[in-house]
Amino acid sequence: MLHADAMGDTPHLLLVDDERSIREPLAQYLTRQGFRVTQAADAESARPRLTAYAIDLAIIDIMMPGEDGLSLCRHIAATSDTPVILLTAKAEETDRIVGLEMGADDYVVKPFSPRELATRVKVVLRRANAGGTRQHAPESGSYAFAGWLLRSGERVLVDRGGVSVPLSTGEYNLLLALITRPRQVLTRDQLLDLTQGREAAAFDRAIDNQVSRLRRKIEADPKSPEIIKTVWGGGYTLAAEVTRL
Amino acid sequence: MIRLWPRSLAGQMAVLIALSLFVAQAVNFTLVLRERAQFRLAQATRPVATRVVDALEREAQGRPLTRERGRIRRVGRNAVPPGLERQGEIARELHDQLRELGVEAGRIDTGVRAWTAADDALFGRAGGRRGGAPRGFVNRPTEALLIAIEQPGRGWLSIVVPWDDGGGMRIFWRLFAQTLILYAAILVPVLWAARRLSRPLRDLTHAAERFGPGDNAAPVAVRGPDDIAALVSSFNNLRLRVTAMLEEKDRMLGAIGHDLRTPLAALRVRIESVEDDIDRARMADTIEEMSRTLDDILSLARLGRPSEPPTEVDLAALVDAVVEDFRDLGKDVDFPETDRLPLRLRPALMRRALRNLVENAVKYGRTARVRLDATPNGVAITVADDGPGIPADHLATVFEPFTRLEASRNRDTGGSGLGLTLARAIVRDAGGDITLVNRAGGGLDATITLPRVP
Repeated sequence: MLHADAMGDTPHLLLVDDERSIREPLAQYLTRQGFRVTQAADAESARPRLTAYAIDLAIIDIMMPGEDGLSLCRHIAATSDTPVILLTAKAEETDRIVGLEMGADDYVVKPFSPRELATRVKVVLRRANAGGTRQHAPESGSYAFAGWLLRSGERVLVDRGGVSVPLSTGEYNLLLALITRPRQVLTRDQLLDLTQGREAAAFDRAIDNQVSRLRRKIEADPKSPEIIKTVWGGGYTLAAEVTRL
Repeated sequence: MIRLWPRSLAGQMAVLIALSLFVAQAVNFTLVLRERAQFRLAQATRPVATRVVDALEREAQGRPLTRERGRIRRVGRNAVPPGLERQGEIARELHDQLRELGVEAGRIDTGVRAWTAADDALFGRAGGRRGGAPRGFVNRPTEALLIAIEQPGRGWLSIVVPWDDGGGMRIFWRLFAQTLILYAAILVPVLWAARRLSRPLRDLTHAAERFGPGDNAAPVAVRGPDDIAALVSSFNNLRLRVTAMLEEKDRMLGAIGHDLRTPLAALRVRIESVEDDIDRARMADTIEEMSRTLDDILSLARLGRPSEPPTEVDLAALVDAVVEDFRDLGKDVDFPETDRLPLRLRPALMRRALRNLVENAVKYGRTARVRLDATPNGVAITVADDGPGIPADHLATVFEPFTRLEASRNRDTGGSGLGLTLARAIVRDAGGDITLVNRAGGGLDATITLPRVP
């Protein structure tokens, strides 16, 4: 939920990073992009600012001396609806996931393009706005459906026999979008919006394409799909019971 | 050829000690046998000589020797049958002894025959008066020695004495038993000592073989004699130092990564204020490339201690996912639909290895055709491109870190020069290998082969 803001529609961001050389130019850039930015150099000074201002979104560096970004992220997730985007210096795939399990909404890996960060801020804000309620960390946890297990923390789809089936980034994003909204009809536009990935410049056809690829991987008979069903004129829906583990 | 010389320390010690014991016992055996032979000669002849002298004295006192009774009988001719085994030494010795005792004998003949019941009767009576078993031997003799002594002009004296040839065999068996006991008495402690030496050495060998980065095994137990214990504990210390150095290296690489990424990130943020779009894009590319090189270096350095556990993965889906990611970026990559192929591997690392190969293919060959083939023993992932290929003399060196083929590759094509190095390191870590082959019609085939572990 967006907080009312003294400056009207301008979203208020809290930027927490101990590196002044990154924090200050980034704050300038985001300000130029139309955000109101409050800076903090560490978790300790960030906490009072979270309550003092009506923060719409926090951008937090993971690697900070003292209390680290993950801990601050957990604190925010536990005490408020404020969405969080993490800045991480680690490139190993396993490290990326930890932040999402701590309740972050998204992450960018250093060195990141400030434009990309600004785009993600907008996406996360729009998602938070549209949903009304926070959908904290849709990527965390495991989902069981139709005999499959999606371990989102590790981005792994596991079949009944325990064999992992790797997914492309696009397939994974699509499946996650469907699985977190079972039995809802999602239009191609909605799916596009939900799956907007870092690289994906997807368009309508791409969604159809991804769906048919996903079906080939998870449906017993891809020609008459039982799990991902097509809604004529509408879009797609996940027609299976989903259990969050 | 049968290998008689054992390889283990305990075995070699046992064989050496057994051999030297055998030699010592053989010498001992020979000495004992010789002594024994001397002794037996004396044993066999002295009583006979004494008895002959006694009998002759008694005869002189008027108690004549008869033909039929007694151990010493007077007979007309040599009573030893010709076919018997002669004991010439005894004859000579007896001759000398009789002469010492003042009896001049003529020819002396001897013969060994089997012990008979009649002998029992003779000796039983002879010893019976003193009671119990016949005197002179505990066991019943197996053979009797016939001695005929010629007294020139007076005929022959015939004597029967027990002949115990079993002495030689008995001594042999006794020595044999003694040797066995010696073997046991010496070899048991020797083997025990050798095992005390070899067990810690074996543990040490295993530990040294297993030792690798990320090895958190407990230190080798310090035991055995001081020399071995010192070796083991110095190995433990060495391992601690090596582990500490490796950890230090990882920490340092992590710190370097962090310290270089931070200014890179700052730079990346700052270039947004560059007005010229082309300039800014180039700067962003350069920063991106530096960052990827940094990633590759860090990955390569950390490969020895991967954080990702191997899991059962559908390799066909893995290849498909990598290919699809390239297609999402608008690259021309082809991969025919392939049956499921579950394999145990580290999926994120294997994705990375394959990604590097496909990346090279689309970079230098514009298009990539990926193929997955299963064989009974393994699988092969082939990435084929239509690029210029790699000059034959460079096929091996392209795997070296930071190798660039200047003719076909320049800075514009980017890449850290670590892509193939990293890919091969990952695949080799999984027990496979990567081969590069220039196709006859042009283009390059890069093939990842992986073993299929049952």
